[in-house]
Amino acid sequence: MNHLTRKEVAFFGKITAGITHEIKNVLAIIQESSGLMEDILGVTEDGTFPHKDKFIKSVNRIHRQIQRGIDITSRLNRFAHTPDHCPASLDLNEIAEQMVLLASRFARLKNVVLESSPSDPPLIIKSDPVSLEMALFESIEILFNITGSGGKITLSPRKIQDTCVLGVGYENTVFFEEDFLTKISSTERWASLQEIMARLGGTVKVFGPAPEILLHLPESIDV
Amino acid sequence: MDRMKILLVDDEHEFVTTLAERLELRNMNVSIATDGEAALGFVENDPPQVVVLDVMMPGLSGLEVLEKIKAMDSKIQVILLTGHGATKDGIRGMQLGAFDYLIKPIDIDELIEKLNEAIKSMA
Repeated sequence: MNHLTRKEVAFFGKITAGITHEIKNVLAIIQESSGLMEDILGVTEDGTFPHKDKFIKSVNRIHRQIQRGIDITSRLNRFAHTPDHCPASLDLNEIAEQMVLLASRFARLKNVVLESSPSDPPLIIKSDPVSLEMALFESIEILFNITGSGGKITLSPRKIQDTCVLGVGYENTVFFEEDFLTKISSTERWASLQEIMARLGGTVKVFGPAPEILLHLPESIDV
Repeated sequence: MDRMKILLVDDEHEFVTTLAERLELRNMNVSIATDGEAALGFVENDPPQVVVLDVMMPGLSGLEVLEKIKAMDSKIQVILLTGHGATKDGIRGMQLGAFDYLIKPIDIDELIEKLNEAIKSMA
């Protein structure tokens, strides 16, 4: 990433992180307010509140949605802090897990199950976190766009012949045509993915018949 | 048994007032302050047993307020409230003498447990 782009990304990150703190404050107030409603109901004598069950059901729904809001803003906050350090020491299991959470909505819209399969032991590399997340997201998008609806995408960090690799594999019951892999590597997104991987000092390959995009990453880069 | 005496400090007025009501329903004696200066005024004039203190506040930061409270009366226990992704503030706070820290939004039962532990540690 060039210097200007890095500054722009950092700017977006800082503003987004600030906003997530504000949203959390809103959620904290809603949480305490609904908690107070629950507390008041708890000290109200039995039988004096005619719609107690509906009230409790409604408060519980608010609690569930607050928790959902907290989870979403926590993910967003973590993502917003991605550009804080570059290069950074990155655990590929954590990067894969983070991407599963961030891309879950996009997967749901495509009716795709998105999951990660962590490596044991974890693989730690020194890299540019923003570009790495972009490469991973591009890979997922390529598979979304070319495979239609349904199926499963698995992000699997592992070592192949002493090289750290992040695999983005797709499984489905449909039959893959012979030129499927050619189709993937002729898309504009593929060119963009290659460009990102070059910036990361790595390479990208795709294997079949069920496609798996393999991001080969160096253990350390100088940015 | 004496009522636990708590000071809540957070610049989000609606947050502290609502949390104060919840703690009062649990028979605690709660005061609120929405900035560091006001908090230090309470500590000087009507010292609490425990201060629940937000780290991110305009003006004096929570960590600065913590240091001043500890300088005024080291027996007062302080529980910090930090945001997600700001655990380093909580850890720094504990190095400065905070009893513990919680991540906002907080769980009321967890807060009460920490308050009880903080009071016990003073005995």
